[in-house]
Amino acid sequence: MTISISNTLNTDRHLSADRRLRRFEDIRQLLPDIDNPSPLVRVNRIVPSASQVFLKLEWFNPFGSIKDRAAAYLLSGLEERGALAGRRLVEASSGNTAIALAALAALTDTPIIITIPEGVPEEKKVLLRMLGAEVWPTPDDLCPVDNPRDGAIALARSIVESDGGEGYVWPDQYSNPDNVRAHYETTGPEIWRQTEGQIRTFVAGFGTCGTISGVGRYLKERDPSILVVGVEPQPGHRLPGLKSFREAKTPAIFDREVVDEVIQVDDEPAYAMTKRLFREEALMVGPSTGAVLEAITRLISLGLVSGLDSPGLTVGISPDSGFKYTSFFAAGLGEEGLPEDESRKTEDGR
Amino acid sequence: MTTPIQEVTETLDTSGLLCPLPVYKAGLVLSRLAPGEVLHLITTDPGALEDIPALARQRGDALLGVDNQGSRQLFWIEKGSQQ
Repeated sequence: MTISISNTLNTDRHLSADRRLRRFEDIRQLLPDIDNPSPLVRVNRIVPSASQVFLKLEWFNPFGSIKDRAAAYLLSGLEERGALAGRRLVEASSGNTAIALAALAALTDTPIIITIPEGVPEEKKVLLRMLGAEVWPTPDDLCPVDNPRDGAIALARSIVESDGGEGYVWPDQYSNPDNVRAHYETTGPEIWRQTEGQIRTFVAGFGTCGTISGVGRYLKERDPSILVVGVEPQPGHRLPGLKSFREAKTPAIFDREVVDEVIQVDDEPAYAMTKRLFREEALMVGPSTGAVLEAITRLISLGLVSGLDSPGLTVGISPDSGFKYTSFFAAGLGEEGLPEDESRKTEDGR
Repeated sequence: MTTPIQEVTETLDTSGLLCPLPVYKAGLVLSRLAPGEVLHLITTDPGALEDIPALARQRGDALLGVDNQGSRQLFWIEKGSQQ
């Protein structure tokens, strides 16, 4: 059976699927949309109960992250424009877009090269290679003269613009409006419906800015008073998927008009909050979710989001799960959670 | 800088490739050379005149020579010993 990428966004996907029975003819039929939304789960213990904070768990998507949405739209757009035929895909990604693109590309035997920042966890690089992608680990400062801290993006661009580049096509998630459209047409409407229009605050990290631009635009059109907040990491951060615009270029698709506030969150509080989400909420999230919830707790402290005096819901994006970051977590845990070394105890005389 | 009299271990011709692709490919070759071995790199993107010296500095390699011929640039890079 052959299903083209475009079909994932068209009616064919519904012909044989029975969502009530959770029976599907093709993995792409699990891609999220208004009728198949990713779950909203309330944060019950970390934030005060009066603050109705929900996380949208994007790791329930078929390829494991929020980037499933953008990847499907990016490929669908390329296919509809005839730009994909016979070419190899090239994309710069910190992993999640790459994984979704590689999974979709695998279904159509489309070769794909991923230029990936060197600091991305090994787990993501291995998953990409398992999917058949060619992975090019790239230093952020590969091109210090013209492209500070964006080495993977510069490398992807140079592949498609060099001689022989006509054999390649670059979805370019940082500049392609289809990335924003994915969230304007799916994530935004899902949140509006799931909160029954009661959302008052939306919080998402800065990365490609497709999510915050698309969801922010949709929500502002429904109710301009909804607070849209972006989360920005520190320069030199270790929060894959997020971007600090103090060191990286602002993506062309970023719509500043829909963002009301920006909260800076450094690595340490983001990882500490990630651990709390594991241990207090049983939410096994990736570190960017920790950054998002850390920002929400600060907004609560500042009285900027809903509480006893101002009803309404806060929704934060949880882009992915923690499974792809276990090596990062292990480094942070040290000896924590391991059995005590009895021999050392004796040597120390304790 | 003039062309050095030095035995070349490997030649990499990146003609037609735009930066930073030559930088990336040169980095891959240098990574597998042994200390003291020499890469002769050919580029056609003038941006390489800034990027390749920066690459050598970053990696701790020695830029032995540069020959800017206008339409193409030639580099000789010796793999450093501190890697």
